[in-house]
Parts: sequence; structure tokens; C-alpha cells
Amino acid sequence: MKILTLRFALLFILPAAVLLLCPFAMAGHGSVLERIHDAEQPFDNMQVESTYQLPVKTVRAKEIYQGGAFRVLARKDSISRYRCSVCHTRKTPQVRDGALITHGDIKINHGEGGNELACIECHDRQDRDFLVDTEGKKIDFDHSYQLCGQCHFRPKRDWLGGAHGKRVTYWAGERVVMNCTNCHNPHSPAFKTKMPETFSLPLDK
Amino acid sequence: MEHGKKKDAPLKTAGLLESKCSRRSFLKGASIAAAAGSAALVTGGCGSVASSEESKLKWQEFFKKNYRLMTEQEKDDTVNRLERLAKLQRGVDIQMSNQEPINNVLYGYAFNVTRCKGYMDCVEACVHENNLDRKSKTQYIRVFEMDPGQLDPTSGDGKYYHEVPVEDKFYMGVQCFHCENAPCIKACPTKATWREPDGIVVVDYNWCIGCRYCMAACPYWGRRFNWGDPVVPKEEINTKQHYLGNRMRWKGVMEKCTFCVQRTRLGKLPACVDACPTGSRVFGNLLDPDSEIRFVLKNKKVFRFKEELNTDPKFWYFMD
Repeated sequence: MKILTLRFALLFILPAAVLLLCPFAMAGHGSVLERIHDAEQPFDNMQVESTYQLPVKTVRAKEIYQGGAFRVLARKDSISRYRCSVCHTRKTPQVRDGALITHGDIKINHGEGGNELACIECHDRQDRDFLVDTEGKKIDFDHSYQLCGQCHFRPKRDWLGGAHGKRVTYWAGERVVMNCTNCHNPHSPAFKTKMPETFSLPLDK
Repeated sequence: MEHGKKKDAPLKTAGLLESKCSRRSFLKGASIAAAAGSAALVTGGCGSVASSEESKLKWQEFFKKNYRLMTEQEKDDTVNRLERLAKLQRGVDIQMSNQEPINNVLYGYAFNVTRCKGYMDCVEACVHENNLDRKSKTQYIRVFEMDPGQLDPTSGDGKYYHEVPVEDKFYMGVQCFHCENAPCIKACPTKATWREPDGIVVVDYNWCIGCRYCMAACPYWGRRFNWGDPVVPKEEINTKQHYLGNRMRWKGVMEKCTFCVQRTRLGKLPACVDACPTGSRVFGNLLDPDSEIRFVLKNKKVFRFKEELNTDPKFWYFMD
């Protein structure tokens, strides 16, 4: 009698179990997350041959990301008055050149309001061709991420991994990313408000 | 008289089909020509069926297969025909490709809702890259201005035009999410839309009958319909085209974001990612553990829109 009721119960339990497990089995079948989870082998990014030539100057970064070495856009070429040591010499400047050679056009808007950074907190006081970090180490203008990362370490971590900043032109091939200063003006890093590039029509009237 | 004309027609058009004349293709040609011949008789006989190169190409275009059933040779042929037709009809030199997907690649996309400032550079780049209709202002991407705490674009303002970003608002871009389990594919009655091996959901415009079932099936409003012939100024036509991507569409077919298939299969970023001035858009290979997109999925707070529908989209939103 007992066995019979047990069998009778099984009649319900088994279909119920099948029904309960069904959604899990269905969701797991070839879903994106499952495919991502299974993909362990690094992809050979260099197999995409169309990505070999980038018409901009890049330098090899001094740090690595999860995939190894990468490159950043060179910065020094786009600084209009580089090398700075051309003007910043021992020679006494002429008063009449004052308007031309000073940096009166630069407004510093970087740092807490009313407590903005001074020039020499980033620029090397002795050698104007370089930046300088808080420990006194010289930093090249091409590698400004080393300087910015001192305070902005979270964005820098994201930038190294790829969640902040931008890759240049290609998703494949050798990784080339933009430098901090390609998007942010170091003297006033926040993005400005502006009119949108275009507008959309309402989806339904 | 009538009899003679009917007899002429099959000979004329069978030659058009050019290919090695198998029994099957001969019969097909013959039956088509017979139908065309009788039609010509009814309309008073328009003799220009095969007179010019253009109509010959159009004729061959009309009887091509679904892209997925074509052989390599047939794909190359149709691409060449379309290039020639573009030259004849619009006077533009285009380079059309039928580039196959790259092995071991599954495209994924992530959108940073914290960083997006609503500048809409992406939308503008997309319109130009994909030859979208300027007349009806078709856009694959919609950017919504949203109140904090909202995560549903229907609650946002999709038609803002003022200085952005606005204090206490955030911006959310919506486009085709290239679902792995896409409802639009299931809805299509002619199998004109499918998911490619690299995860991109594409449309064979020639097989689309314009029923708009896919548009109704898509829970993300990711598809666009051509109510009229798309208008693109001749000098603005993007000549780097792909058969499944940004080639010129026509009245009555469906179109959608293709992750810029003409760019991504060459290793390039989609136009929207390339244009974004804030770096809110991350694109890459989901099957590469070292890619940026995988870093985002692993290290950031991510969510997918309407994930509960089990559409399994390959488009994530994330925040800093």
C-alpha cells in the first residue's frame, strides 16, 4: 500500500521537477553569457590584417593592460609651442614679448573650486619639457596618464582596462588608445555644455 | 503575328541568364520569358525588356537567391551587378563588399550611461555612415534624456534640442541590441533577417517584403521602415558599402543597425563608437578575454534592457 502511494506521488513529482528545471535548461543553451564564459582562449587580434596601418603617431605605453602591451596617441606633436625650453631658458625675457610668451590665455579650472592647482604641481619647475609627479619623478608629455592617475586612479584603472576613454579607429589589431589629454583639456578637464549635433523626430505622433 | 512574338521572347531572355544552361535554368528562363512575353502583348508590347545593360542587370538581380543560399560565386556576381547598377542609376562609384564574418568573433557593445552627455555625435555619424534617409530623418540610434533613477527609455525625452548636458539628467542611447534570441528573426515570414555567426542581426533587403512583423516583434524599437524611397544627396553617399549593411535601400523594406558590418568586419569600430566624443561607447569581441568589452562586463556594474524577456541582447549598459 505504501509503495503504491509512493508511486502515485512520483507521478506528480517527476513532471513537476521537469517543469521546474525546464527554464534553466532553456536559458543555458548557447546563451551569450554561456558563450562568454566558455571563451578562455585569447583572440589573435593581429589576424585582422586591415588594421595594420594607422595614420597617426603613436607611442608604446609604459604600462600594460590585461592583454599585454598597448600604444597611446603621441601628444608632444600636437602641443603648439613644444619644446618649452625654447622660451624657458636662463635668458631674461623682453617686456615687449610679454604678451606673446606668457600663458595668459590659460585659465586653470582644475581642482576643487577656489583651490585650483598651480602650474608647477604638474609641470616640472626645473625642466619645462617634462611634467612632474608628486614624488619628483619626471613624466613625458606622451605619457601624461602616469601623472593624471595619481589622483584619478579609478578612471585610470578603467582606462587601462578599456571602460574609460576610447580606442582609435580599430577594435582589432594592436590596441591603440587615446591619451587623457586627447579628450580632456588638462587645464580645464570637465566637458563643456553645448548644443547637440542633431535632433530626433518623435517616434509616434 | 501574336504567335510569332511569343516564340521570339524565350530565345531573347534565355540568353540573358548567361549561365551554363542547365535544364532547370532553361525551363525557368523560358517560363519567365513566356510570362513576360504575354504581359508585353497585353500592354501593347514594350520591346525594351533587354535593350539596355541596366535592364539586363535588373533582370538578373530580380531572380537572385536569398543571400544565405548563394554560393561564393553568386555573392560576388550580385555585388558586381550592384556596383555597376549604382554607377548606371545614380552615377556613383561604390565599392561593395560581401566580407564574411571573422572566425571566433562575437560582437558586443556597452554603453556608459554615466558618461554620455547627449551630444548626439553618434547619431549624426550613423546617418552618414549608413546612408540613412535624410527626408524622413531616419535614425538607427535614439538618445533619450532621462530623469535620475529611471532606467526605461519610454520615460525619457527623445526629442530634446537644447544645451546638453542638463544638470540632474542622464542620457541613454538605444539602438538594435543584436539579440542572440531575437524575436524579429522568428517573426519574419520570408527568412529575410537572420543572425550572422559573428552575432550581427542583418536583413537581406531583396527578400524583405515589408510586412513589418519584425518591427512589431522587436521589444526595443530597433527596426526602421522605409515608407518612401530613401533620399541621400549624391555627394553624401557613403561609397564603402556592404551587401548586408549600408547599401542603398528602397521603398518598402526594413532596415536596422548592423553594428556597421562594412566597418567591423574590417576590424574597424562602428561609426557611433568612433564618433563619440565622451568615450561612452565600448565595442569589441566578446569571445576575447582580453577585450575592452570583457573588461567592462567583468569590472563594472552592468545591466541589459528588458533582460527578463530572454531575448539575450549583446548590448549592455554600465555605470561608473
